[in-house]
Amino acid sequence: MSLRAWLWNPIVAKEYRSRMRTMRSPVALTAYILAIGGLGWAVFSTMAADASLGGGAGNYGRNLFVVLILFQMILLTFITPALTSTAISGERERQTIDLLFCTRVPPFAIMWGKLLASMSFVILLLVVSIPIFSLVFLFGGIEADQLATAFLVTAVSALALGSVGICCSTLVRRTTMATMTAYGASFLLVFATLAWGLIFPTRVDPATLSQTPAPPAIVYAGPLLGLSWIAGQGAPVSWLDAVSGGQFGVRYGGGSDQPIPMAKAALAAPRGLPAPAISTLFARSGIAQPAGPKIPSGAFAGWQYWQATVALEAALALLALALSAAVLPPVRRYPWRRRGAPAGVAVDDAHA
Amino acid sequence: MIAVERLTKRYGTMVALDRVTFEVPRGEVFGFVGPNGAGKTTTMRILAALLEPTDGRAFVDGVDVDAHPDLVHQRLGYMPDFFGVYDQLTASEYLDFYAACYRLPRARRQTTVGELLELVGLSDRRNQPVDTLSRGLKQRLCLARALVHDPAVLLLDEPASGLDPRARVEMREILRELQRMGKTIVISSHILPELTELCSMIGIIDQGRMRATGPVKEVVARLSSARRVRIHVLGKRDEALQALRAMPEVQHADEVDGELSVAYDGDERAAASVLQRLVTAGVSVSSFTISDGGLEGAFLHATSEDPA
Repeated sequence: MSLRAWLWNPIVAKEYRSRMRTMRSPVALTAYILAIGGLGWAVFSTMAADASLGGGAGNYGRNLFVVLILFQMILLTFITPALTSTAISGERERQTIDLLFCTRVPPFAIMWGKLLASMSFVILLLVVSIPIFSLVFLFGGIEADQLATAFLVTAVSALALGSVGICCSTLVRRTTMATMTAYGASFLLVFATLAWGLIFPTRVDPATLSQTPAPPAIVYAGPLLGLSWIAGQGAPVSWLDAVSGGQFGVRYGGGSDQPIPMAKAALAAPRGLPAPAISTLFARSGIAQPAGPKIPSGAFAGWQYWQATVALEAALALLALALSAAVLPPVRRYPWRRRGAPAGVAVDDAHA
Repeated sequence: MIAVERLTKRYGTMVALDRVTFEVPRGEVFGFVGPNGAGKTTTMRILAALLEPTDGRAFVDGVDVDAHPDLVHQRLGYMPDFFGVYDQLTASEYLDFYAACYRLPRARRQTTVGELLELVGLSDRRNQPVDTLSRGLKQRLCLARALVHDPAVLLLDEPASGLDPRARVEMREILRELQRMGKTIVISSHILPELTELCSMIGIIDQGRMRATGPVKEVVARLSSARRVRIHVLGKRDEALQALRAMPEVQHADEVDGELSVAYDGDERAAASVLQRLVTAGVSVSSFTISDGGLEGAFLHATSEDPA
């Protein structure tokens, strides 16, 4: 099957048609713009009053950016599972799935079509929010590449949430249960990963420390940390440190919560996975890679936070889709379960 | 065209199908009869490559269902017993969607959809949302959907269930038209008189086992152990009964509602012999009607056997 057939199958067209004919879509779109726009306007108004006093406009811009991008991600955490968790289970409940399985659209393409249609709606939401994000540039402090990176992280995170939703929809037969499971999994991915850094931080002893400690790798799987760090070090991410009562995701032993001296940290060469392909891509293209703090140690040492998030979420999306693809077909033809069918088309003249 | 060989489906210890075997030659209309839970839908789902058999083989147009489901889907149109429709789509969009799913070129789809709507009598409702159609119209639309890729074989699971008498008659007419078009059709139904009229072959299934299969007349003849004849005589009923009871081929004879009801062994020659001897005995026979119990009798006979 050609790439075009994979990417564009009749399911996508049908889903677009059905989705856009209901009042739900325009209402959701309007509510989304109003929510982000309302928050943006509220924060903008407050900060504009403060900024007029002079100094630190860049910080205000970064703060506004982080508030908006995190709020957008949280909104998508609520929206994406609703879009995808009914995709397959809804077809089952409506008793239409068998009719689809009988067509020439392979089960994986059915699933992919559903995901593509849902993700298109998410992309639409992201696109309509861009003008609101342009408010940030009034203050400065955020470059266009940082905004693009943040939208990339948001889109990949939404893809991961969507894939997890499709997976729940495939594994759980009843729509209500599938939706609840998808929301549970999404909250785990977005919020529990962050909570993990607070509850189970990397425990280090400053006396024996050889390199700057980093939060446990699992926290990068959630998008909120990566998005916060895109804005750069300083005020925007201080909320994480404030919540954790020190450096986020790190607990120093011996009763000291003081970070190790930077001189000592600088001595340590980061050890971890090779630099991500995305860095190489930036390097080769000649485009400056968005500046941002790098993970000092651990498995993702040397990566930027958002890169670790994108890598982990893309891997999660692939895993969820692979699991769905394995489970979805009505007759699962695993190699080890074949019943010894003959090779080729078994045409028997007596039967034909 | 369709061949099923020792098809078995087990769910744990429950046996849904037990070595079911039958064949349907090209162009035949095969009636698949059995009580609820007998295994009709299971067999149909296996034939449609929607369910994996535990054992045995099934072929559609020479293609092994288990090995090549994709090829089976090209050759087969399936209408399940229960199905839903998408809301927000009109009847023609609904058919166009499935035509696209069967990879019909865009240019051909419009013509095909128009022809199918015409065939099932829904041309005037082409722009009506499918979820607002009545059950009978939905059934017809689903039948049209099963035909979008012009399959050689049609599997129709209870196509007339839940329909009012008028819709049933209309559905039957559409099936007759498909029969004339040369499609090989498998219809499962519990409405026996309909099958008698429509089907050239029949299979009776009960508790997962095929009780009888073959041309309708053969199956009916094979399963009708004792034939019956209804005789109307002018006067002398007691004498006629005495004469009948004295005949060796007559199992029993009684008077029912003013008529003589006689069960006898043998074929039509035995019936002729009974009639001849009655007349010879001086009984005035005004009517003499043989009744073999029909498909219903055969069905009851086949499904009343001990499954063990």
